[in-house]
Amino acid sequence: MSAAQIFAVIIFVGMFIMIVLDKIERHYVTLGSGLLTLVVVFGICMRSGTAIMDTLALKDFATKEFWYQVTESESKGINWATIIFIAGMMVMVEGMAKAGFFRWLCMKIAYLVKCKTVPIFITFMIMSAVLSMFIDSITVIMFLAAVTIELASLLKFNPVPMILSEIFCANLGGSATMCGDPPNIIIGTSLGFSFFDFLTNTGLCAAISLAVSVIFLYFAFRKEITGGKGEAVDMSKFPKPSEAITNKRDFIISSIIFGLAVLLLVTHATTHLTVATIGLFIAAVTLIAFGKHARELIKKVDYKTLLFFIGLFVVVSGLEETGILKKIADFIGNISDGNVMLMIAIILWVSAIASAFVDNIPFAATMVPIIQSLAESSGVPISTLAWALAMGTDIGGSATPIGASANVVGTSVAQKNGYPIGWGRYCKRLAPATVIVLGISTVYLFVRYL
Amino acid sequence: MSQFIISVGREFGSGGRHIAEELAKRFNIPLYDRHLITEIAAKTGLTPEEIEKYNEKPKNHLLSRRVNGFSNSIEDNIAEMQFNFLREKAASGESFVVVGRCSETKLRDFKCLISLFILGDMSEKIKRVMNVYELSEDKAKALIDKKDRKRKRYHNYHCEGHWGDSRLYDLSINSSRLGIDRTIDTLEQYVKSRITEE
Repeated sequence: MSAAQIFAVIIFVGMFIMIVLDKIERHYVTLGSGLLTLVVVFGICMRSGTAIMDTLALKDFATKEFWYQVTESESKGINWATIIFIAGMMVMVEGMAKAGFFRWLCMKIAYLVKCKTVPIFITFMIMSAVLSMFIDSITVIMFLAAVTIELASLLKFNPVPMILSEIFCANLGGSATMCGDPPNIIIGTSLGFSFFDFLTNTGLCAAISLAVSVIFLYFAFRKEITGGKGEAVDMSKFPKPSEAITNKRDFIISSIIFGLAVLLLVTHATTHLTVATIGLFIAAVTLIAFGKHARELIKKVDYKTLLFFIGLFVVVSGLEETGILKKIADFIGNISDGNVMLMIAIILWVSAIASAFVDNIPFAATMVPIIQSLAESSGVPISTLAWALAMGTDIGGSATPIGASANVVGTSVAQKNGYPIGWGRYCKRLAPATVIVLGISTVYLFVRYL
Repeated sequence: MSQFIISVGREFGSGGRHIAEELAKRFNIPLYDRHLITEIAAKTGLTPEEIEKYNEKPKNHLLSRRVNGFSNSIEDNIAEMQFNFLREKAASGESFVVVGRCSETKLRDFKCLISLFILGDMSEKIKRVMNVYELSEDKAKALIDKKDRKRKRYHNYHCEGHWGDSRLYDLSINSSRLGIDRTIDTLEQYVKSRITEE
């Protein structure tokens, strides 16, 4: 191994350990590690100004393909399209939250099913999955869990099974689209896939899995959710959905913007607008629409996550430029010995197991160049490997309380309201559900792509 | 000073909790230690035993993750509930004594805070622990080390300053020098001086 490779690995492993230890905020960790990669790996060891420029990828902004893409292309270095898109969606979501959209939607659905526990359980699971297809799962779960706890105290049921099911379905829904989960955005923008590509591939698998999961989770939790006294529900005691709306004008505007975002994403393969353009456009429209409150929305954007992404992409580029990821790809190619079935299974299950314990974003960012290299050397279509990676990273995260952001947020909201969810309680139901969905995904990948 | 809050940090075996109890009695104000657990239990619906299980315990880093200020760790969330509870009490204008819970840091924005740290000589702490818990010398020493290690990890995780660092507290005192009773007298005088001063 060369000095550059050794340092790239040390920096990467060090970064991962620091993220797990959580002593320093994770965006400082990745930015610091990224800076070390630029200076030590590219500057001192490789003496390559080109590698630094490729990694920073600032010239991407000046290219037409960055904003308007007719042919699919792959990107290297910092994935600015991912960052701009996530930032744009953050602005939009903040606007929706400010207007009371999410709380209104939850209360509306609870009202539509007449506040009955089992129908709420089922509809909230489906809503969690559908919303997570377009909105980050952290926001979805933050609102859903809070409303679930509120309904639980009014209807006298235990909210834990419902929150756990919502978490699971949010992760599942996120796997269905390109913008549902950060790994998918990274995979999509890095490998040039469209929203529709995801929807017709991982989306179909997610739909089948959702149907099975709803049935599984219902039977797994039925005793707890149907354990109430079955008394007639007095709807007059419940807060009205309309009370959730803080400002009618803002509510209508944010609903229209959300609809517009969904439309632009669904049609972006036809319109050729890239996700970077869509993100920027949605953010701009939201900020203009919210006028004097625009500053408030900008302040609420989670800059730490965006900085975390930037640092992360630099560190992964260190591994890529030094050829470490190619070595890992060759290793996977060798152990699968040309057996495509084995290759898919390895990518799916290793991604799932890793994502159950470590942040799936760095994992996916690292795996993208690996599957690119693997596809080149083995001749397996990159799309097949990409779907396996997306399903593995998105679904594997559901298995443990630390596997995905939604799990952390959901369990935290429950705990703060007096419902502790430890590892045992979490994994007892959701680990088997994760294995079932991974089993479905394995069969789906084998049947559809081999 | 109409409102005053006495924060008592302590080494295990130093008599810190007893000192805090006595100060609360002498100033006729509530003590938040075990009572804090009962109050939070009543507020959240958790049982006191559940809270006690995770009380002042550092989280397991390998089994925990933090996302945008949310944490899956029950220890973290119980700690956060206690910090919020203390802040609410302090903001309500109530005077009280609080034992541990990083209170010297979490309440430092309140001008009425008087922060104390009670330490002790190891030999004296061992004697006290042997007596209170009916343990052998070795077991008492091991228990002191274990408890203090936990408190230190808990404190240093939730606060920027280091547990027991005299710069964090208004007054650090070794209870072995004067004995527990005279330490209480000294601290009572100190608190009175602080209250009348302002």
